[in-house]
Amino acid sequence: MPFKHTYLFLLGLILLSSFSVVQYSETTQPIQLITTQTDYNVGDSVVLKFSTSEGEHPLLYCSNSYGSTLLTGELNANILQYKIPENISKKRGAVSWKLLDKTMSLSGTFTMNPKAEVATMETYIGPPSIEAGGTDYTMLVVIPTDSLDNPVPTNTLVNAKHQFLASEETTDIFTKNLIAYKNIYSKQESGRMLVSSESLGINSKEFTINVSAAIPTDFTISATRPHAYADGNQITTFSTSIIKDKQNNVVSDGTYVTFFITNQKQNILKTTGTTIDGIAQAKIIHPDYKDAWTVKAYVDGMAESESIALQYKSVIEDYNVKFSEQNRSITVGPLQSFMGQMIPDGLHVKLHIYKTNKHIETLTKTSFNGYVNFNLKPAIYSNGNYNFSIETAGITKQFNTKKLW
Amino acid sequence: MVGLNKNILRTILIISYIMVIALIISGLSAVFSYLNTGADRSSMLHTEIQKVEQYMPQLVWEPLQNEGRPMDNENLNALQNDYLDAWYVKQIAYKTNKTAGIKDYYTDSARKNLFDFIALNKAEDITIDATTLKHHPTLEFFSEDGQLAVITDRNVVEYKSVFKAEQLVLETTETSTYKMVFLLEDGFWRIRHLVKEHSEPYTFDTEPINTANLDIKGINYYPQANPWDMFGDDFSTSILSKDFDIIKNAGLNSVRIFVQYEDFGKANVKPEKLEKLKQTLDLAEAHSLKVVLTLFDFYGDYSVMDWTLNQRHAETIVSTFKNHKALLAWDIKNEPNLDFESRGKPNVIAWLDNMIDFVKSVDASHPVTIGWSNTQSAPILKDKVDIVSFHYYENLEHLNDAIKTLKTEIPNKPLVLQEFGLSSYSGLWKPNGASDEDQANYHKKIQEHIAANNLQFMSWTLYDFTYIPKAVVGSLPWRKNAQEHYGFIDKNGQTKPAFDYIAKP
Repeated sequence: MPFKHTYLFLLGLILLSSFSVVQYSETTQPIQLITTQTDYNVGDSVVLKFSTSEGEHPLLYCSNSYGSTLLTGELNANILQYKIPENISKKRGAVSWKLLDKTMSLSGTFTMNPKAEVATMETYIGPPSIEAGGTDYTMLVVIPTDSLDNPVPTNTLVNAKHQFLASEETTDIFTKNLIAYKNIYSKQESGRMLVSSESLGINSKEFTINVSAAIPTDFTISATRPHAYADGNQITTFSTSIIKDKQNNVVSDGTYVTFFITNQKQNILKTTGTTIDGIAQAKIIHPDYKDAWTVKAYVDGMAESESIALQYKSVIEDYNVKFSEQNRSITVGPLQSFMGQMIPDGLHVKLHIYKTNKHIETLTKTSFNGYVNFNLKPAIYSNGNYNFSIETAGITKQFNTKKLW
Repeated sequence: MVGLNKNILRTILIISYIMVIALIISGLSAVFSYLNTGADRSSMLHTEIQKVEQYMPQLVWEPLQNEGRPMDNENLNALQNDYLDAWYVKQIAYKTNKTAGIKDYYTDSARKNLFDFIALNKAEDITIDATTLKHHPTLEFFSEDGQLAVITDRNVVEYKSVFKAEQLVLETTETSTYKMVFLLEDGFWRIRHLVKEHSEPYTFDTEPINTANLDIKGINYYPQANPWDMFGDDFSTSILSKDFDIIKNAGLNSVRIFVQYEDFGKANVKPEKLEKLKQTLDLAEAHSLKVVLTLFDFYGDYSVMDWTLNQRHAETIVSTFKNHKALLAWDIKNEPNLDFESRGKPNVIAWLDNMIDFVKSVDASHPVTIGWSNTQSAPILKDKVDIVSFHYYENLEHLNDAIKTLKTEIPNKPLVLQEFGLSSYSGLWKPNGASDEDQANYHKKIQEHIAANNLQFMSWTLYDFTYIPKAVVGSLPWRKNAQEHYGFIDKNGQTKPAFDYIAKP
């Protein structure tokens, strides 16, 4: 009987063991992830390890910020190893992977963190030119990157520095959304501002911001001239005072100033100049007859001056007119200036010719050596009675019923 | 006699002379006009660059609350265009492993990373066919000088199929969050830094739609005069109204209508087509008929790069009509299994799978189906569709078995026999074809099968047609002629014997 029991026991044992073998082969060890680390620094060598009992070589799908690829594993003593290629392990960001075995059940993500170092300070600044006065500003944007060209982690300290005249300032800013930025406001004065930044011991280059004067404020003007006579020869020079903005900064060189001159006939003459060191100058020739000018200057749309008045005295009090050669030759002169000197060449003299109260022609000539001579040719002006009027330096003389023959 | 001959000779000589001169002149003028072409001033400078819409994923900006300078529409548009183009050139680059176009949309340092990937994938013979379906960008920062911007694009839905040695090894849909720094260089907004902050597999869950109350007794409908061009110039509401009357009075309750992809304007659906479709649905509603709307008729590309455009098409149509009372179901595509061979089965199925998700994301309340051309394909995507539709033009003897098999495979979804019919054409091209009586017999029999198996049905079709466009069955006369005679009503408007069995055995 005990034999029977032993047999039964043995049989049972064999049966059991065969069962367990069957079970074992049914649940062959599925591939399992061994690697537990999910945070790496960029540049680290990343290897994903899996345990497996079967000799299969599934591909590993792997995807990071810039792209995706498939990796082939190496099987070593039942451990599958996938070395993440450098172009994935050197870039910051989430990396997702999936093992492409039969079940496709293994997947996950790990994170590549940027290095805690700064290799380059990518700096952008703009606008490069701002206005003095404390309301305008330029913006400094810094992207500190590590040696593998990854933006550094959020909340990395960046020192934004700028120098202006006597002041040197440093402000702490922190990276957020991959960048750090600061608005740098102008001061009351114009000038050049130097900007730079620093993070973790690495400094950026120097950037220059031009702080130019704000818009000009109203100014005054003056005129200088050699004499006050309307000789049509000398030049009057207009100058502005030093044009400044409201903070007392001299406006930029080249600010365009227009001088408007209104004469007695309400005609408008115009002359222009650009500023150098805040002063603009413009020139205009004297009138050749007695006149009174009102002058006002503008920086278009921004500032203007008070008006000033200028008087031009007549340079010629009187002159002679001589008719000769059957009245066909008319000599005007001598045209004498304020000291009795002959007027400089080039004074305009006009001769208006009328016949039977009808205007025929106006002849214009310029003076030479103090005289002007008109010759009326018989072929053009037939014999008969004519009226003449002569006009120069604002003085008109009338000669009626002159007979040409 | 001599004189006559001479005259004939003269005439011939003169005419041939004129002919020769005419030939020379036409030849010279052809040369002259050829030399003049291509020098058109307007074309010299390539001033008119047409924007081709090639990548239009769903993109919704978060409200603008960015730091730095306030953003304006002009700049935002430029940024958005270049951002999408950056994705597009990247997808093309990874699909072809070529670098064309990358340099326009990635800065010097950023493009290096893409080139590295391309080199790696090229060496390993890996290609990636990918597209993005949804973008939710937030503008984080815009610099004072307008030259730098930072965007966070949250929950970008990315579909990828990954190929190794031209074998598909993985299809995956991920949702990821990207942070990007853009620089404005040479008039392009270029990506300078790109950081994927988060990524996880994308899942799209929908509530199951109750289809228990469905009882489709319908017919595939095209007007008699303009089949396959229903919404063209010959669109007529009076004809539709008359036909819907016939259908309703025959005891049917629904029609299946087709929306042609290109005819409707592809990604930018033409408003006039939408208006005609709306009138059709309104008429159906007035006649108490329900409508199964088949999208993407005459479309056969399925390529991943085309998906975003397909989605814009579906989005317009589905969102316009999702609340229409006449709507019964969305039929995603007519007989897509016929494209398996030419377009690749995985490709077509991936397209259908994603399109179902997309249609359901726009309209969660109407059932979705696919019009498979046979019973063998019908179980594909059976878990995604709400109604399983299949067509049956084979021998009626095997119908019962086919349905039995289907019912065991798909026990819990309604089955719709969505197309069936018999051409009553018998003539020169098919001497021993079926007669009108055979057709009537066929419909009687199949209605018995339908009743016995408790199927829902939509028959093909109301009318015999006089004109079949080439795109439907090709230009072979025996096919065309057969296709013309599937109707219940003949060319003269007389009901054929089969009409008695249009709705019941």
